[in-house]
Amino acid sequence: MAGTVIAEGLSIEGDITSDEEVVVQGSLRGKLTSSDAVSIGPASVVQADVAGQSVSIAGQVTGDITAPERVDIQAGGRLVGDVKAARFTIADGASFKGAVDMEV
Amino acid sequence: MSQSSVIGAGTVVRGNLSGEGSLEVYGRVEGDVSLSGEVSVREGAAVLGEIVAAKISVAGAVQGNLRGTEAVLLERGAKVVGDLSAPRIGIANGALVRGSVRTEGEAAPAQNKRVASPGPGLRPATFVAKPVAKVEPKPAAVARAEPAEPPAPPPAPKEKAPERRPPPPVLPSLGKGAKGKKKKDRDE
Repeated sequence: MAGTVIAEGLSIEGDITSDEEVVVQGSLRGKLTSSDAVSIGPASVVQADVAGQSVSIAGQVTGDITAPERVDIQAGGRLVGDVKAARFTIADGASFKGAVDMEV
Repeated sequence: MSQSSVIGAGTVVRGNLSGEGSLEVYGRVEGDVSLSGEVSVREGAAVLGEIVAAKISVAGAVQGNLRGTEAVLLERGAKVVGDLSAPRIGIANGALVRGSVRTEGEAAPAQNKRVASPGPGLRPATFVAKPVAKVEPKPAAVARAEPAEPPAPPPAPKEKAPERRPPPPVLPSLGKGAKGKKKKDRDE
Protein backbone atom coordinates (compact mmCIF):
# COMPACT_ATOMS: atom_id res chain seq x y z
CA MET A 1 0.00 0.00 0.00
CA ALA A 2 1.35 3.39 -0.90
CA GLY A 3 -0.28 5.06 2.08
CA THR A 4 -1.19 8.66 1.64
CA VAL A 5 0.65 10.95 -0.74
CA ILE A 6 0.00 14.64 -1.00
CA ALA A 7 1.62 15.38 -4.34
CA GLU A 8 3.39 18.56 -5.27
CA GLY A 9 0.53 20.41 -6.88
CA LEU A 10 -1.93 19.69 -4.09
CA SER A 11 -2.72 22.04 -1.26
CA ILE A 12 -4.68 20.99 1.80
CA GLU A 13 -6.21 23.32 4.34
CA GLY A 14 -7.38 21.30 7.27
CA ASP A 15 -6.51 18.33 9.38
CA ILE A 16 -5.19 15.01 8.25
CA THR A 17 -5.57 11.99 10.48
CA SER A 18 -4.12 8.72 9.33
CA ASP A 19 -3.05 5.31 10.51
CA GLU A 20 -0.67 4.78 7.63
CA GLU A 21 2.41 6.38 6.12
CA VAL A 22 1.98 9.93 4.94
CA VAL A 23 4.21 11.60 2.37
CA VAL A 24 3.73 15.32 1.90
CA GLN A 25 5.14 16.96 -1.21
CA GLY A 26 2.59 19.71 -1.60
CA SER A 27 1.43 22.24 0.89
CA LEU A 28 -0.47 21.68 4.08
CA ARG A 29 -1.96 24.11 6.49
CA GLY A 30 -3.59 22.73 9.57
CA LYS A 31 -2.63 19.60 11.43
CA LEU A 32 -1.15 16.27 10.51
CA THR A 33 -1.43 13.26 12.75
CA SER A 34 -0.34 9.78 11.85
CA SER A 35 0.39 6.65 13.79
CA ASP A 36 2.98 5.68 11.19
CA ALA A 37 5.89 7.42 9.49
CA VAL A 38 5.55 10.94 8.14
CA SER A 39 7.81 12.25 5.44
CA ILE A 40 7.82 15.86 4.30
CA GLY A 41 9.39 16.26 0.89
CA PRO A 42 11.79 18.94 -0.29
CA ALA A 43 9.29 21.00 -2.22
CA SER A 44 6.62 21.05 0.42
CA VAL A 45 5.51 23.87 2.64
CA VAL A 46 3.81 22.83 5.84
CA GLN A 47 2.22 25.10 8.39
CA ALA A 48 1.01 22.54 10.83
CA ASP A 49 1.75 20.60 13.94
CA VAL A 50 2.94 17.22 12.82
CA ALA A 51 2.67 14.07 14.86
CA GLY A 52 3.87 10.72 13.62
CA GLN A 53 5.71 7.63 14.70
CA SER A 54 8.74 9.10 12.99
CA VAL A 55 8.97 12.38 11.09
CA SER A 56 11.43 13.23 8.37
CA ILE A 57 11.61 16.84 7.23
CA ALA A 58 13.18 17.90 3.95
CA GLY A 59 10.95 20.86 3.21
CA GLN A 60 9.74 23.88 5.09
CA VAL A 61 7.78 23.23 8.24
CA THR A 62 6.36 25.70 10.71
CA GLY A 63 4.83 23.89 13.64
CA ASP A 64 5.56 21.55 16.47
CA ILE A 65 6.75 18.05 15.75
CA THR A 66 5.94 15.12 17.99
CA ALA A 67 7.27 11.66 17.28
CA PRO A 68 7.77 8.91 19.83
CA GLU A 69 10.48 7.34 17.72
CA ARG A 70 12.57 9.92 15.89
CA VAL A 71 12.66 13.23 14.06
CA ASP A 72 15.16 13.93 11.28
CA ILE A 73 15.69 17.25 9.56
CA GLN A 74 17.35 16.58 6.20
CA ALA A 75 19.77 18.86 4.40
CA GLY A 76 17.73 21.61 2.83
CA GLY A 77 14.98 21.13 5.37
CA ARG A 78 13.83 23.93 7.57
CA LEU A 79 11.89 23.67 10.79
CA VAL A 80 10.57 26.43 12.97
CA GLY A 81 8.87 24.85 15.93
CA ASP A 82 9.39 22.59 18.88
CA VAL A 83 10.47 18.99 18.66
CA LYS A 84 9.53 16.21 21.01
CA ALA A 85 11.11 12.89 20.15
CA ALA A 86 13.29 10.18 21.56
CA ARG A 87 15.89 10.62 18.79
CA PHE A 88 16.62 13.74 16.81
CA THR A 89 19.04 14.53 14.02
CA ILE A 90 19.73 17.76 12.17
CA ALA A 91 21.68 17.21 8.96
CA ASP A 92 24.39 19.56 7.84
CA GLY A 93 22.64 22.24 5.77
CA ALA A 94 19.34 22.03 7.60
CA SER A 95 17.76 24.95 9.42
CA PHE A 96 16.12 24.72 12.78
CA LYS A 97 14.69 27.04 15.33
CA GLY A 98 12.82 25.78 18.34
CA ALA A 99 12.94 23.88 21.56
CA VAL A 100 13.86 20.24 21.79
CA ASP A 101 12.58 17.77 24.32
CA MET A 102 14.06 14.30 24.01
CA GLU A 103 12.08 12.94 26.89
CA VAL A 104 15.14 12.62 28.98
CA MET B 1 5.09 19.01 -12.59
CA SER B 2 1.94 17.96 -10.79
CA GLN B 3 1.60 14.34 -9.89
CA SER B 4 -0.96 12.00 -8.55
CA SER B 5 -2.08 12.33 -4.96
CA VAL B 6 -3.54 9.54 -2.92
CA ILE B 7 -5.68 9.72 0.19
CA GLY B 8 -5.11 6.26 1.60
CA ALA B 9 -7.73 4.00 3.08
CA GLY B 10 -6.76 4.73 6.63
CA THR B 11 -6.72 8.49 6.23
CA VAL B 12 -9.32 11.10 7.06
CA VAL B 13 -8.92 14.63 5.77
CA ARG B 14 -11.05 17.28 7.40
CA GLY B 15 -10.53 20.27 5.24
CA ASN B 16 -10.43 21.46 1.67
CA LEU B 17 -8.17 20.17 -1.06
CA SER B 18 -7.22 22.26 -4.03
CA GLY B 19 -4.57 22.47 -6.67
CA GLU B 20 -3.31 20.77 -9.77
CA GLY B 21 -2.85 17.20 -10.65
CA SER B 22 -5.00 14.19 -9.99
CA LEU B 23 -6.30 12.61 -6.84
CA GLU B 24 -7.37 9.14 -5.83
CA VAL B 25 -9.41 8.85 -2.70
CA TYR B 26 -9.49 5.55 -0.89
CA GLY B 27 -10.21 7.01 2.52
CA ARG B 28 -12.41 9.79 3.70
CA VAL B 29 -12.51 13.48 2.85
CA GLU B 30 -14.72 15.90 4.71
CA GLY B 31 -14.43 19.03 2.70
CA ASP B 32 -14.40 20.38 -0.81
CA VAL B 33 -12.11 19.13 -3.51
CA SER B 34 -11.10 21.38 -6.36
CA LEU B 35 -8.50 20.05 -8.76
CA SER B 36 -7.46 20.73 -12.30
CA GLY B 37 -6.96 17.09 -13.13
CA GLU B 38 -8.80 13.90 -12.45
CA VAL B 39 -10.47 12.95 -9.18
CA SER B 40 -11.31 9.35 -8.53
CA VAL B 41 -13.35 8.29 -5.51
CA ARG B 42 -12.67 4.60 -5.13
CA GLU B 43 -14.90 1.92 -3.78
CA GLY B 44 -15.11 2.20 -0.04
CA ALA B 45 -14.11 5.84 -0.05
CA ALA B 46 -16.29 8.71 1.08
CA VAL B 47 -16.27 12.36 0.21
CA LEU B 48 -18.48 14.81 2.04
CA GLY B 49 -18.21 17.95 0.05
CA GLU B 50 -18.25 19.32 -3.42
CA ILE B 51 -15.88 18.01 -6.07
CA VAL B 52 -14.79 20.19 -8.94
CA ALA B 53 -12.33 18.71 -11.43
CA ALA B 54 -11.74 18.03 -15.07
CA LYS B 55 -12.84 14.44 -14.82
CA ILE B 56 -14.56 12.87 -11.84
CA SER B 57 -15.12 9.18 -11.50
CA VAL B 58 -16.94 7.79 -8.50
CA ALA B 59 -17.18 4.25 -7.26
CA GLY B 60 -17.67 5.13 -3.61
CA ALA B 61 -19.88 7.47 -1.66
CA VAL B 62 -20.15 11.19 -2.26
CA GLN B 63 -22.37 13.67 -0.52
CA GLY B 64 -22.01 16.86 -2.45
CA ASN B 65 -22.21 18.24 -5.94
CA LEU B 66 -19.97 16.96 -8.70
CA ARG B 67 -18.91 19.44 -11.30
CA GLY B 68 -16.68 18.20 -14.09
CA THR B 69 -15.29 20.39 -16.82
CA GLU B 70 -14.88 17.30 -19.00
CA ALA B 71 -16.80 14.38 -17.60
CA VAL B 72 -18.46 12.88 -14.56
CA LEU B 73 -18.64 9.10 -14.44
CA LEU B 74 -20.45 7.10 -11.79
CA GLU B 75 -19.40 3.49 -11.71
CA ARG B 76 -21.23 0.53 -10.34
CA GLY B 77 -21.33 0.80 -6.58
CA ALA B 78 -21.31 4.58 -6.54
CA LYS B 79 -23.62 6.33 -4.15
CA VAL B 80 -24.02 9.99 -4.83
CA VAL B 81 -26.27 12.50 -3.15
CA GLY B 82 -25.73 15.69 -5.03
CA ASP B 83 -26.02 17.34 -8.41
CA LEU B 84 -24.00 16.22 -11.39
CA SER B 85 -22.90 18.74 -13.94
CA ALA B 86 -20.52 18.13 -16.84
CA PRO B 87 -20.47 18.09 -20.64
CA ARG B 88 -20.39 14.30 -20.46
CA ILE B 89 -22.06 12.32 -17.75
CA GLY B 90 -22.08 8.58 -17.38
CA ILE B 91 -24.05 6.62 -14.82
CA ALA B 92 -23.27 2.92 -14.86
CA ASN B 93 -25.75 0.19 -14.18
CA GLY B 94 -25.94 -0.18 -10.44
CA ALA B 95 -24.87 3.32 -9.48
CA LEU B 96 -27.12 5.21 -7.10
CA VAL B 97 -27.78 8.89 -7.57
CA ARG B 98 -29.99 11.41 -5.92
CA GLY B 99 -29.82 14.87 -7.37
CA SER B 100 -30.12 16.73 -10.57
CA VAL B 101 -28.17 15.67 -13.60
CA ARG B 102 -27.22 18.29 -16.15
CA THR B 103 -25.06 17.81 -19.15
CA GLU B 104 -24.00 21.35 -19.77
CA GLY B 105 -20.94 23.11 -21.01
CA GLU B 106 -19.00 22.71 -24.24
CA ALA B 107 -18.24 19.08 -24.97
CA ALA B 108 -14.54 18.82 -25.64
CA PRO B 109 -13.56 16.89 -28.79
CA ALA B 110 -13.29 13.20 -27.97
CA GLN B 111 -9.79 12.49 -26.79
CA ASN B 112 -7.98 9.31 -27.74
CA LYS B 113 -7.14 8.17 -24.25
CA ARG B 114 -10.50 8.45 -22.63
CA VAL B 115 -13.29 7.57 -25.01
CA ALA B 116 -13.86 3.94 -25.88
CA SER B 117 -11.92 3.36 -29.06
CA PRO B 118 -11.51 0.10 -30.95
CA GLY B 119 -8.78 -2.08 -29.61
CA PRO B 120 -5.38 -2.34 -31.24
CA GLY B 121 -6.55 -5.42 -33.11
CA LEU B 122 -8.80 -3.39 -35.37
CA ARG B 123 -6.78 -2.11 -38.28
CA PRO B 124 -7.75 1.35 -39.39
CA ALA B 125 -6.84 0.41 -42.97
CA THR B 126 -9.79 -1.99 -43.11
CA PHE B 127 -12.15 0.77 -42.13
CA VAL B 128 -10.88 3.18 -44.74
CA ALA B 129 -10.98 0.65 -47.59
CA LYS B 130 -14.72 0.02 -47.44
CA PRO B 131 -16.64 2.25 -49.81
CA VAL B 132 -19.63 2.49 -47.56
CA ALA B 133 -22.16 5.20 -48.25
CA LYS B 134 -23.56 5.23 -44.76
CA VAL B 135 -24.25 8.35 -42.80
CA GLU B 136 -21.07 9.31 -41.02
CA PRO B 137 -21.54 8.99 -37.23
CA LYS B 138 -21.06 12.15 -35.19
CA PRO B 139 -17.42 12.71 -34.25
CA ALA B 140 -18.35 13.17 -30.58
CA ALA B 141 -20.15 9.87 -30.29
CA VAL B 142 -17.54 7.67 -31.92
CA ALA B 143 -13.84 8.02 -31.36
CA ARG B 144 -11.31 6.33 -33.60
CA ALA B 145 -7.67 5.89 -32.79
CA GLU B 146 -6.57 7.99 -35.76
CA PRO B 147 -9.35 10.39 -36.55
CA ALA B 148 -7.29 12.10 -39.25
CA GLU B 149 -7.65 9.37 -41.86
CA PRO B 150 -11.26 8.13 -41.80
CA PRO B 151 -12.94 11.52 -42.14
CA ALA B 152 -11.09 12.20 -45.42
CA PRO B 153 -12.75 9.60 -47.74
CA PRO B 154 -16.31 9.74 -46.36
CA PRO B 155 -17.13 13.22 -47.71
CA ALA B 156 -16.70 11.90 -51.26
CA PRO B 157 -19.17 9.00 -51.09
CA LYS B 158 -21.54 11.17 -49.12
CA GLU B 159 -22.01 13.47 -52.12
CA LYS B 160 -22.81 10.52 -54.37
CA ALA B 161 -25.31 9.10 -51.89
CA PRO B 162 -28.34 10.95 -53.22
CA GLU B 163 -27.55 9.75 -56.76
CA ARG B 164 -27.34 6.16 -55.67
CA ARG B 165 -30.70 6.03 -54.03
CA PRO B 166 -32.99 3.42 -55.52
CA PRO B 167 -35.78 4.84 -57.71
CA PRO B 168 -39.11 5.24 -55.98
CA PRO B 169 -41.37 2.24 -56.38
CA VAL B 170 -43.89 2.37 -59.25
CA LEU B 171 -47.38 1.65 -58.05
CA PRO B 172 -49.87 0.35 -60.57
CA SER B 173 -52.60 2.91 -60.89
CA LEU B 174 -56.02 1.60 -60.03
CA GLY B 175 -58.88 2.77 -62.16
CA LYS B 176 -62.30 3.41 -60.79
CA GLY B 177 -64.19 0.23 -60.07
CA ALA B 178 -61.12 -1.94 -60.06
CA LYS B 179 -61.65 -5.03 -58.05
CA GLY B 180 -59.32 -7.54 -56.63
CA LYS B 181 -59.28 -10.98 -58.15
CA LYS B 182 -62.08 -13.02 -56.70
CA LYS B 183 -61.02 -15.71 -54.35
CA LYS B 184 -63.15 -18.39 -55.92
CA ASP B 185 -61.11 -18.14 -59.05
CA ARG B 186 -58.15 -19.24 -57.14
CA ASP B 187 -59.83 -21.98 -55.20
CA GLU B 188 -59.20 -25.39 -56.59
